[in-house]
Amino acid sequence: MMPVLHRASVAYLWRHPWQLALAITGIAIGVAVMVAVDLANQSARKAFVISMDTLNGQTTHQVVGGPGGVDEKLYAALRVEHGFTRTAPVVAGSVRVADRQLQLLGVDVFAERGFRNFSAPGNIKSAGDPEMISPLTTESLVGRLLSGEGAVLMSAEAAQQLHLQSGDSFAVQASGKQFEATLAGVFSGDTQSVLRDVVVADISNAQQWLGLNGRLTRIDVNASSDAEAAAIANKLPAGVEMLPAAGRTQNTASMSDAFMTNLTAMSFLAILVGVFLIYNSMAFAVVQRRGLIGVLRALGVTRAGILRILLAEAALIGMVGSLLGVLAGIWLGEQLLLLVIRTLSDHYFSVQVSGVTVSTLSLLKGLAVGLATTLAAAAVPAAEASTFQPRLAITRSVLEKRVSTIVPGLAVAGIIIMMCAGVIIGLFGESLVAGLSALFILILGFAFCIPFIAARLSAWLAPLAERIGGVAGRLAIGGVGSTLSRTGVAIVALSIAVSATIGVSAMVDSFRASVSDWLSASLQADIYIGVQQGAMDPDLIDDLVSVTGVASYSASRRAWLETAEGRIRVIAIRRAPGQPAGVRLRGGDADTVWRKFAAGTAVLASDAYAYKQSVLPGDAVTLNTRSGPVQLPVAAIYQSYDSNDGALMMSRGAYDRFFNDPGIDSLGVYVAPGVDTGAMLRTLQEIARDRQVLNMADNQRIRRLSLAIFDRTFVITNVLYWLTVFVAVIGILAALIALQLERSREFGVLRALGMTPAQTGGLVAVQSMFIGLLAGICSLPLGLGMAWVLIEVINRRAFGWDINMLFPVDVLLFALLLATAAALLGGLYPAWRAAATVPAMAIRDE
Amino acid sequence: MIKRTYQLVITTIIANILCACLDPPTALTEDPEAFPQRSRIAELLSDRGVAGYPMATEARTFSFPEDHGAHETFRNEWWYFTGNVADEAGHWFGYQLTLFRFALQPHAAPPLASSWQTRHAFIGHFAVSDLSRERFHVAERYARGAAGLAGVRQAPLAVWIDDWLIESAGTDGSWRLRANDDEIAIELSLEAVKPVVLNGVDGLSQKSAEPGNASYYYSLSRLGTTGRLTVDGQSYRVSGLSWLDREWGSSALAADQAGWDWFALQLSDGSDLMLYNVRRSDGSADPFSAGTAVAADGSARHLHADEFTIDVQDHWVSSGGVRYPAKWQLSVPALDLEITVRPAMADQELVTSVRYWEGAVIVDGLSGELAVTGRGYVELTGYDFAADQ
Repeated sequence: MMPVLHRASVAYLWRHPWQLALAITGIAIGVAVMVAVDLANQSARKAFVISMDTLNGQTTHQVVGGPGGVDEKLYAALRVEHGFTRTAPVVAGSVRVADRQLQLLGVDVFAERGFRNFSAPGNIKSAGDPEMISPLTTESLVGRLLSGEGAVLMSAEAAQQLHLQSGDSFAVQASGKQFEATLAGVFSGDTQSVLRDVVVADISNAQQWLGLNGRLTRIDVNASSDAEAAAIANKLPAGVEMLPAAGRTQNTASMSDAFMTNLTAMSFLAILVGVFLIYNSMAFAVVQRRGLIGVLRALGVTRAGILRILLAEAALIGMVGSLLGVLAGIWLGEQLLLLVIRTLSDHYFSVQVSGVTVSTLSLLKGLAVGLATTLAAAAVPAAEASTFQPRLAITRSVLEKRVSTIVPGLAVAGIIIMMCAGVIIGLFGESLVAGLSALFILILGFAFCIPFIAARLSAWLAPLAERIGGVAGRLAIGGVGSTLSRTGVAIVALSIAVSATIGVSAMVDSFRASVSDWLSASLQADIYIGVQQGAMDPDLIDDLVSVTGVASYSASRRAWLETAEGRIRVIAIRRAPGQPAGVRLRGGDADTVWRKFAAGTAVLASDAYAYKQSVLPGDAVTLNTRSGPVQLPVAAIYQSYDSNDGALMMSRGAYDRFFNDPGIDSLGVYVAPGVDTGAMLRTLQEIARDRQVLNMADNQRIRRLSLAIFDRTFVITNVLYWLTVFVAVIGILAALIALQLERSREFGVLRALGMTPAQTGGLVAVQSMFIGLLAGICSLPLGLGMAWVLIEVINRRAFGWDINMLFPVDVLLFALLLATAAALLGGLYPAWRAAATVPAMAIRDE
Repeated sequence: MIKRTYQLVITTIIANILCACLDPPTALTEDPEAFPQRSRIAELLSDRGVAGYPMATEARTFSFPEDHGAHETFRNEWWYFTGNVADEAGHWFGYQLTLFRFALQPHAAPPLASSWQTRHAFIGHFAVSDLSRERFHVAERYARGAAGLAGVRQAPLAVWIDDWLIESAGTDGSWRLRANDDEIAIELSLEAVKPVVLNGVDGLSQKSAEPGNASYYYSLSRLGTTGRLTVDGQSYRVSGLSWLDREWGSSALAADQAGWDWFALQLSDGSDLMLYNVRRSDGSADPFSAGTAVAADGSARHLHADEFTIDVQDHWVSSGGVRYPAKWQLSVPALDLEITVRPAMADQELVTSVRYWEGAVIVDGLSGELAVTGRGYVELTGYDFAADQ
């Protein structure tokens, strides 16, 4: 018996290839998006941790100081006076070779043993001269590294891309200045990809290039015991502390957690839409075969037998779809990885990834989720089909009646579910995951209400449609309400996908407007001058600001303060005399705040910092300064979007008092009235030429660049929601094709009653459009709700950003258009089929 | 004296540092094509790379305490202490503390503002032989001669690598040594019993026929030693005798020289004897082998190669498979001296960046009609490469 049943199943699927293909595509895309996001996230994060581990080597702890690093004398004291020889000095920073940004690692080769094992099974190649390393001559690798003459090592790949061979001299740009370096050797082997963007040089050159003479970025410690670590910590002066290395890597990596969690949530949205589609497809497969099922039941096939065959079918479709999805996910993951890395590098940390790491777990997860959701989605219609009484099964009206009785109940359930989302948001005030869960619950709850809304709208609008389009109009619009058993789920899927575009677009638009507004307030100076890395040359600063036509200038320094909990961004500014502050305070009396700020008795906290650290004006923050921990009150919170974990701002005077770091890395130049900004820019560029490479731009350009980075950040979000929309369009297409094909007999009757082919086609097209319009209308409240949750709950919890929500009329209109167009697109083929119906053929059926 | 270990040590150490942090350079793998005829040691000790350094070609006037300090223009230099000490219960220990300076290039590079720039590398070897328990410990350090990590302070003299330190207050001949590692430590005060002895001809020690293949070489052959020695967590108050060798130069072994055996012996009659035997690649003794005999009153006598014989009577094979001589019959007819020298314990092999044997020895024999005993140190290099072949 079973083989026959299976053959019936296969034959059915085979005779409906469109439907089969669409069902598989829906599953595949959902799984692909999930797998891709998972792979991209994991690859980026893993690459970061591996590269940190390689660069840290055996380091157990790191001795770090304030923004200016650690005094190099401390290192000598630790070794010579105290005998702590499991230590290694590091001077690190970024440099530029040709157009490539590289990470410079300045080390003392003598201290490196027991720390970094740059290439366990690989090795280093040097010049191809076998005697290059062995004899200790001026030409030997170590001799050259130690000579201070600029010998460096880099990965073979980087050397190749830069067209460098061992022995070649080339220019290194650091702190905006040019230095001469020689490629002494290349790393090859396994460490290549990790060290792809790393240049290793002697510490003497690294200090010189990065302008860090006398300072170390950190001291790496390979403590043999906790006691030794404690003993070292004991010898550290005020303002210097020792932090566990692994913790620091994790802290840095976890900076991006919120970003990655959000991407994962987006990928679940794609799966969620996919689930509706699968349900949709399976429901159709059941509905269309109710005749067959009735016959089978009449022939004696048990309920269990029906259930089994339908679930087997679903498992097959789920498996094929999931497999395709996993394969597509690997490819898509590669594409997403580039976007993820770009965002990470823009906002969090530099990471190099040569390719996506395909983790078996991610793939299995994708398969499992694809298969499980397919089976779950198919279970409901399959279970329903198995309950058909042999005779009832043949009547469709029974089915519609059943659906219409369920719809109001579903809506009530949906409302209750949505209320749960509100409760979750309220209960778990801080948790990002709870926020995202609430978002999903909200979507789910609303989805339950959509059939009810659609039915009501359809019923209300039917008379109106009759007035406009006569009986055909009434048939088109009213028909939607009475075909909910098939269109309901498709409408839900389309609504969710479209509402995601509304939610995300409204959030991004609001965010962008807030950022743009903030930029206008912040960019008070006419021209901004900055150095990529390190500090600006003090003499050059003097020359730049003494140009006639410069009315006044502000100077700032952005530095990192290391703490056990991670890094804190510290911004030191010297405000331009007589100019308005480019900082927008959130509350507080501006005069009082700025007076305290100038006196250095208080700091300002960015709103992200305030949110994440739960700091209110008047609270104190503790800074590890050169004279030890200092507590400073927060005078006010200021608006800022430039740092994900927030920043503390202090006056230059306070900064100089607390930290040993005289550098200035950017200037804001105010041009005197009547002076042309463009001309001034050229004058300043001319002065800096050949002295230091500085980035100079007027405030308009800075603004444009900032917004460009902003837009770039959301490219990946856009990609994900378009993928979701694509899934939904596939769904609506599948639903409409199935629906219209099923109704071919009805069209035959209509044609026989005298409707022209154009009228029949038009009926289907209008009905399709109306389905889309319904989905669009339903998506509006859901989309706005999502936008609100994204802005007020998700973004706040993830990044601490304070965004003013806009009411985006254009986004809403676009959503309606998108939904209608998507449905129309899906309805074109069915409309053509309907128009081509030959009445005699269609009716002859019975 | 010939402790040209330094070059080997330094070259190999630096290669090893690279191995450690950058992994084995392909260039260091032994390639028969690259070195068809000569052993690796000979290759490493070739006089390539000496261009630009002054050579020890002529006798010079020594002046103290200045000459205890660094001679930075020369390529290499060392402060080489060895000694035999015992606690009151009669536990004997041997120790070695050697700090090497090695110039990486003859001229200073254009100065950088960075205080890490250097042209000197410093290497340290510290070993303690626990003779009664027959346990041997060795530690190795290296550092750049910059940023205060290692260096030489001329007055008052201090030579250091990290917290390993050799100090001398000034002209009174007193020294202080300090070194430690995981299991061993010393804190010793040394007092010269005899004045400085110039080895070779007025302190110019010729090593092969080629002019400039020589070094400036003096010794303090007998230093009364007291202090504290720690081994395996147990600290001992010890006293005994130490020996200091100081040598600097720029040259390297001649092409056909493979290694050396070096003896520094302090005898019970108050006399001291230094002998070295340079071995040629073909196994024969080099005519440039030499020695110095220091009488109890401190007067010294140079010994030519033909004035002594060294007869190896036994061998010992280390765990690494290197076969070292392990017992010698020394004969110096001019002094009427016939002595047997044997290791105070067998395993005193330093498996550091370079593999060699440097250990405490026990002496007994006849000086004329009188029985003499004594203790001292012997260094044996170049045997591992023989084993490799």
